[in-house]
Parts: sequence; C-alpha cells; structure tokens
Amino acid sequence: MGHLKLLSILFGLLLASCSLARAQDVKIIANPGIPADTISIRELKSVFLGETNSLGGVHVEPVLKKHGAVHEAFLREYLSRSDDDLQKYYMALVFSGRGSMPKAEDADDDVIAYVSKTKGAIGYVSAAANTSGVKILNVASSNSPPERRLITRIEPDYPEELQKRAIGGTVRLRLTISANGSVENAELLGGNPVLGESAIAAVSRWKYAPASSRTTAEVSIPFTPNP
Amino acid sequence: MPLRIILALLLLPCLGRPNLHAQEFHLFDRNVQVHGWLSQGFVYTDNNNWLTMNTTSGSAAMTDVGLNLSTQVTDNFRVGAQVFDRDLGKLGEWHPSLDWAVADYRFTSRFGVRGGKVKTVLGLFNDTQDQDFLHTFALLPQSVYPIDLRDAAIAHLGGDVYGRSRLPRRLGDISYTAYAGRRNDGLHSGYPYLLTQFGTYLKSIDGLQYGADARWSTPARGLLVGASRMDQDTSGRGTAVNPAGSALPMILAHEFSRADWTNQFYGQYVLHRLEIDSEFRRYVRDQLIFSGTSENDTDARGWYIAGSYQLARRWEVGSYYSRYTITSIFKGVLGQSVPPQTDTSLPLNHIYDKVLTIRFNVNRFCNLKVEGHFMNGFANAPYPDGFYPQENPNGFAPDTNALVLQTGFSF
Repeated sequence: MGHLKLLSILFGLLLASCSLARAQDVKIIANPGIPADTISIRELKSVFLGETNSLGGVHVEPVLKKHGAVHEAFLREYLSRSDDDLQKYYMALVFSGRGSMPKAEDADDDVIAYVSKTKGAIGYVSAAANTSGVKILNVASSNSPPERRLITRIEPDYPEELQKRAIGGTVRLRLTISANGSVENAELLGGNPVLGESAIAAVSRWKYAPASSRTTAEVSIPFTPNP
Repeated sequence: MPLRIILALLLLPCLGRPNLHAQEFHLFDRNVQVHGWLSQGFVYTDNNNWLTMNTTSGSAAMTDVGLNLSTQVTDNFRVGAQVFDRDLGKLGEWHPSLDWAVADYRFTSRFGVRGGKVKTVLGLFNDTQDQDFLHTFALLPQSVYPIDLRDAAIAHLGGDVYGRSRLPRRLGDISYTAYAGRRNDGLHSGYPYLLTQFGTYLKSIDGLQYGADARWSTPARGLLVGASRMDQDTSGRGTAVNPAGSALPMILAHEFSRADWTNQFYGQYVLHRLEIDSEFRRYVRDQLIFSGTSENDTDARGWYIAGSYQLARRWEVGSYYSRYTITSIFKGVLGQSVPPQTDTSLPLNHIYDKVLTIRFNVNRFCNLKVEGHFMNGFANAPYPDGFYPQENPNGFAPDTNALVLQTGFSF
C-alpha cells in the first residue's frame, strides 16, 4: 500500500514536470531596434508590469501571450505571478485610469510578427520558436550587475556602396566600458565586417552612466537598407 | 432596469466560452481599448435595513456598471475616460457620472503627470473600490471604504504628479502620488441623503481636495506598506426646513469646513495564493452648519484586517474583521440641545463587522460571491455609515446579520 502511494506520488510529480514549462523553455525576444542584448529580471518585471516604458533610454512596450505553458512559465519565473494575478493587476490600472492593457497575442508566430514590426516591442516565445526578424535578449540573473544606462548614442554611418546594393543586417559587438562610462574597446562578434567597422567607429564615441568598476555589454546594431 | 434583464445580460457571457480579448478598435490610426463591468448584488438582513436598501425584506437594488475607453496617443501620452452608474437603494438611482477622464504624460518611470478628473489615491483600494471583480469580498470593509460615501473621496478635478523609484542598497521601491483639485459629490450619495432626515436638502457639495500617498514595496518579498493623507475644504449649499415652523418658507442652508482631513496607514502581504491586507483610517471633520450658527465635530476611526486565499483556480475564500467608531459633538445653537456622542462602546457609536466570503470564478470574466456579515452596532451619527434612520423609522437593533450575494462581469 505504501509503495503504491509512493508510486502514485512519483507519477504525479512526473506528470507535473512534463506539463510545466521552465524558464529555459522561454526566449525573450525584442524588436531589433532595441540596442540592449541583455535584460535583468528586475528590468523585465518592470517592463511587463508597466512600471517603466523605457530600457536604456529607448521606449519599450510589453507583448504578452494570452495563455499556454510558455506564458505560465514566463509569469511564474520572471513576474512571480499567476495569469489571474496579472489580469487583476492590469485591470486595477485600467479601471482606475492609470494604465492600459498590454498587447496580447495567441501564438508564438503572432508574438514574433508583432515584435518584429513594432518599435520597442518586447515579448516571449517558446525556446523552439523560429525567431527570425527579432532579436533574443539574454536574461541576466538578479545577482548580475544592472545594465548600464546609455547616455550618449551616436548612430553609425551606413556605407553608401552597401546601402546602394541593399546589403544590411545586424552587427553584434561586445563592449568594454570603463568606470567613467567611455567605451574602451569594441569587439566584433557577428555581422558584416564592413558594417562592423562602421559600428565600432560609432560605439567608440558612446557614453554610458558611470559605475563603480569596468563592465562589459553586448549590443546589436541593425543596418536596414532603404527599400 | 428590471433585475431579470440585468441578470440575463450578466449571465450570457458567463455561459458560453468567452472570447473577449479583442476589446479594442481603431480610430484615427490609434488603438482604442474598451473595458467595462457590471455587477449585481442581493442583500438580506435579519435586523435593520442597511445601505439605504430595504434589506430586511431582501433587496437587489445593488447594481454597478461602468465603461471606459483609453488610447495611447504617443509613447508617453495616454488619454481615457470612464462613465459610471449605479443603483444602491436610495443612492445613485441610475444617475450616470463621469468617473474619471484623464490625460496622462509619463516623462520617466520616476515622474509623470496626469490631469482631468482623476481617481484619488487613498490607501490600498480607494481608486478600485467599485471594481468588485478585483476583490475577493463583495463589500470591502465598510469601516474604511464605506460604499455609501464613495463620492466623498473617489475623484478630484485637478492633477496628480506620480512616480516610482528604486531605492539604493536593494531596499525596494517607493511609489508616490501627490494631488490637488476639487471634489464634486453627486447629490445621490450618502451624505446629502442622510441630511434629508433633518429637512436639509443640499443642491451642491464640493470643495478643495489635496493630499499625497507614498507606498514602499519592501525588500521582504510581497510586503508593501504605505500612508496617505487627504485634506479637504468643502462647502454644501441648499435649503432647510424653517426651524420656526415647517409651514414657513424654507431657509438657505450653508455648511463649510473648519477642518477636514483623513490619515490612512496600510500594509499588504502577498505570498503565493495568500493575501493579507490591513488598514487604519481616521477621518476628522469639523463642519460649520446652518450658515455658521452651529458646528459639528466628527471623528470617525476605522480599521480592518482581511485575509483571502485562493483554494483553487476558481475558488477563493476570505474573511475580515472591520471595526468602526465615531464620535460627534455639536457646538453653537445645536450644542445646547443635542447631547454629545462620545462613548464608542455603545452600539450607537460603533460598528464591528465579522465577515466570511466565498468567491467562485466562473471564468476570467464572471464571478459569484456569497458573503456573510455579522455586525454589532449601527453608529447612528450625523455622518453616514451604512445605517440610515430613514430606512429604520422604528429605531435600530444592536446586532445585524447580513447575507450578500453578488455576481459580476468584467472585460
């Protein structure tokens, strides 16, 4: 009898673990226009609870999923709330005139389509989703140092020849930022090397908020050819 | 509106599979969100008629309805408005009002401004007290959120500054709101109705309202504490029965504040499915009445502790203990004939309420609540508190048990 009970408990736990998505099953996606490559859990929470509408000085807008295991996992892991709690939270804002309901989509594809075309949009999808057209944001744990605020951003030159030939894409760089906020070094991680040169020239003139020590950051810079 | 029609409207969306996410439309290239709610209550009491309803016979004259539209004009600028209507016994009586109409500009998360008719932030739930679907309880603790006095503190015509800031050294977040404006009570609310028992009929009641709220989300997960302060300078004008004889022409009645302030302190703790709320409110009102010939000094103090727990996705249970006391002293002409009410141990000057609630969420949009109130006291003072002499012409019994049934729909 005791064994039967133990087995049934184990079976229940197994079933629960199968049906529950975890944080690693969720990808945080963003519109390519958002310069940050990393977002802290705290920032993610602030954005999805409507407490802030900017990230690194750029306007952001949360996009929710309406339901599903990924939705539940995202809320549980990053917002520490259930779907009902989140609904109540937003309803309180809406009915007291202090906020609006965020955009909500049904499927991963709908979230990705909306995020890719909407300036500043941040959403979440399953890890298996095809995320072309959007960028993936790494989630830094709460113990990681907070992302440094970008104070001065210089846009890179788009080489005329490449633009004429409609050659574009996203350049990824790793920056080393001194304590006083200047960019000491920029390393090309991916993207067209010519565009990368232009991007490095621009980010070398960026200025971040001072911090207690030198930090690193990954940034993505999109080059979109004119249609 | 006939009760059957209201119930039918309520139940329709509850019965089918809801698909109400698309509550928005496009206007001038903008998304406009539409949200609303409707709630219907039924109250039965064994003693004393309550909340201006004939509850000893059972009353369903307890309906709230609201609808709002809002749109994000730019990244930081939002506008919206909400209309509200209700029928609560002799209050409301289907006279719609503009609940709020706001233009809101958020410069940063630390600083924003909003103006227009703005919901007043006072304690945990003042600005959401009408939205029963947000709360486990059918009636919030009446010692702090009296449903018959909602007009007195619900909104002001003016402006707010607000913001939220992270404190250093991981000490949590602090949110603030400061506001100033004018309140403008509907004439179908509790205070004007209470005065009709004295032959006084207000034609207007309004005045300055300003204050501030600060709340701290502490480093202890789920724990929030805060404090609110509201000051008012109100004035009521109308007519009153001539004290020299009711056959004589009515005289002008004018009342105005000497002091009118509210302090409120609160705490909230949320842990998974458990929520515990507690608040204390003190309302001091020193009012010159009958054109300054008399003065009424009222001191109302209320506190409650409430707990709610979500048993399962659809089921919630809750309970609270609410304690309200009031003292009233007349001075001037009326001070010579009306004795002071200062002994708060008497049922005349207090209401102690023990409450048990079960809430069933039919789906995301509909809920049903069953609530029991076990009250001692009726606090019959010159300021409203739920029990009105007009509905209890034969006097009050010291104890009242009430059954409240409520169903609500929101989208």
